[in-house]
Amino acid sequence: MKQTFISIGNTLIPYLVAITASFLAAGLFIGMMGFDVLKAYETILLSSFRSPGAFAQTLVKFVPLLLQALAFTIPLAAGKFNIGGEGQLIVGAIGAAGVGIVFANLPIYLLLPLVIIAGVVFGALWAAFPAWLLYRFGINEILTTVLLNFVSFSLIDYIATEIWRDPAAGHPTTVPIGAGGELPLLMERTNLHAGFIIAVLIAVLVYIYTNHTSAGYELIATGANARASRAYGINVRSLFLLSLILGGGVAGLSGAIEVAGVHHRLIEGLQSNFLLLGLIIGLIAKGNHFGVPFVAFFIAVLEIGASSMQRTMSIPGEMVFIVEALILLFILLSDLVRKK
Amino acid sequence: MDQFDSFIGFARLILLALVPYVLASQGTMLSGRTGVFNVAQEGIMLLGASVGFLVALYTKSLLIGIVAAAVAGGIIGLALAYFSSTLKMDQFVIGLALFFIGLGASSLAFKLVVGVTLQLPRVPTLSNLRIPLLGDIPILGEILFNQNALVYFSVLISIALYYYLYQTSWGLELRAVGENPKSADSLGVNVVLMQYATTIIGSALIGVAGAYLPMVYTGVFTQGITQGRGWLAIALTFFGGWRPQLILLGAFFFAIVEVLSLRAQIVGSAIPYQFLRTLPYITTIFVMIYAFRWTRVPAFLGLNYDREKRSLS
Repeated sequence: MKQTFISIGNTLIPYLVAITASFLAAGLFIGMMGFDVLKAYETILLSSFRSPGAFAQTLVKFVPLLLQALAFTIPLAAGKFNIGGEGQLIVGAIGAAGVGIVFANLPIYLLLPLVIIAGVVFGALWAAFPAWLLYRFGINEILTTVLLNFVSFSLIDYIATEIWRDPAAGHPTTVPIGAGGELPLLMERTNLHAGFIIAVLIAVLVYIYTNHTSAGYELIATGANARASRAYGINVRSLFLLSLILGGGVAGLSGAIEVAGVHHRLIEGLQSNFLLLGLIIGLIAKGNHFGVPFVAFFIAVLEIGASSMQRTMSIPGEMVFIVEALILLFILLSDLVRKK
Repeated sequence: MDQFDSFIGFARLILLALVPYVLASQGTMLSGRTGVFNVAQEGIMLLGASVGFLVALYTKSLLIGIVAAAVAGGIIGLALAYFSSTLKMDQFVIGLALFFIGLGASSLAFKLVVGVTLQLPRVPTLSNLRIPLLGDIPILGEILFNQNALVYFSVLISIALYYYLYQTSWGLELRAVGENPKSADSLGVNVVLMQYATTIIGSALIGVAGAYLPMVYTGVFTQGITQGRGWLAIALTFFGGWRPQLILLGAFFFAIVEVLSLRAQIVGSAIPYQFLRTLPYITTIFVMIYAFRWTRVPAFLGLNYDREKRSLS
């Protein structure tokens, strides 16, 4: 018992140090710019907890962040980098919106599952192309997944301006999906939707898969030492393929949830900066699937704080993005200290 | 529009589009040849674009802006060198972290300095510099010798890098660091110094590549101004086999695709412009299928050398 406490403490201390150091660095900068530092800290950290609505908003933000982080960390377990979660989200959202618009009249028990499944399948297919290039030709997946993000930007623009355009909207936006495709709300008078439950469920499943099944063990063994795993008889290349497609599916799911839970239509720009935050979350959690949801929640709190700070204090929200990147940097540095 | 229609105008545009690819890719190549694999290009270019633009706006000098962009890139390069060469951290992860910081800082600096305005401030775009005599040659003079200074610079730096890497003993030492740092070290080459120098200079070049975008194309800074050119530059570096002369040649392919895609969007065609816009990314993915087959990558690329360790890697 005492041992577990010590090990939890040993894990948490570097995080607390990293967070403190990043906030101090940002505070110094905010102070130099002539803003009220303490009020900025308070706004960043506490805005999420000031009202039930703000807390619900934090959980709504938490959903895509968690799923984008998992889309990155599942392939990461096998040693592969999926930087294409943004494109997979967009294409997943296109699939979900497409089904939701074409079959708009279906009842909820048919349409909602179809919308969600379409998102997963489209996201997985978008990841399958770079995964196949890696499998067949040995093309490094990092660049191919990144470049496909830029292709997806054009795709969503085309769909939202040419195919299912909503003529009333100024910004490229499609017509709404059928009411049966909308995720039900979990709390009255907030926008917290059932996608939250799906996301948490997926996080639990991923944790069980990677940490408590033999298939997941093969994945992690491959990530730790691909050559040894191959010698041991694991089909390493197939695992690379599988892990990237699974990651794409999860990213596609995040797109479907943004459509079905938040916007109820396809909107250009709905991917926000979820990919970058997902990468930061996955790296801060060091790919540990027990830690990912907690880090994702923390980052969601910071993001809600960032927009509140930008609104009330006119400090650009990018300040908080830099704080998040600094936390990552300090976490990476703390590993070094412990190794020595 | 008529720029596209004449052969001269078309050739001039290709040279114009060449510059950011060449500079960013040579910068990537330079540090890669000492084993430091930089993946922060997109962030460094954005930072260079933002800092270069803002400094040029306030000093009213594009030259000072370009120097500032180089310094900003160099600082990220210094950080990358410190984390990888001195602290031996995972180069890819550190590169991603620096990409995030560059991206955030570029946007933060712009918002803090300019604020939120409806009227975006502009800088004048870089003017053409006609080379005496050579500029008077018919057709060729107009295409090659009546361009902005960074066009000449990007070609000259490519030639200089080729000469330095392959015709001088320093260049041989530099390449040795990327192939086998242990033997380079035992021959008395200062591995760490080489890695710092190439990473700082390389990142400075990438920063200038970023500053080129607002200073030549748009006159304004916008958040997504790089449009993935930093990532494309990495692909170009592989395409050019990590050799400066082939990177310069390969950059022509990237520039031609970019100009063609732009031309088709403006002229209009049966294909929706959204799909034409994806041309650079899709052709790059297909180019990589071939590039990765024949490219010889520096043997120590992406790895950290620790002289206290007995075995490499």
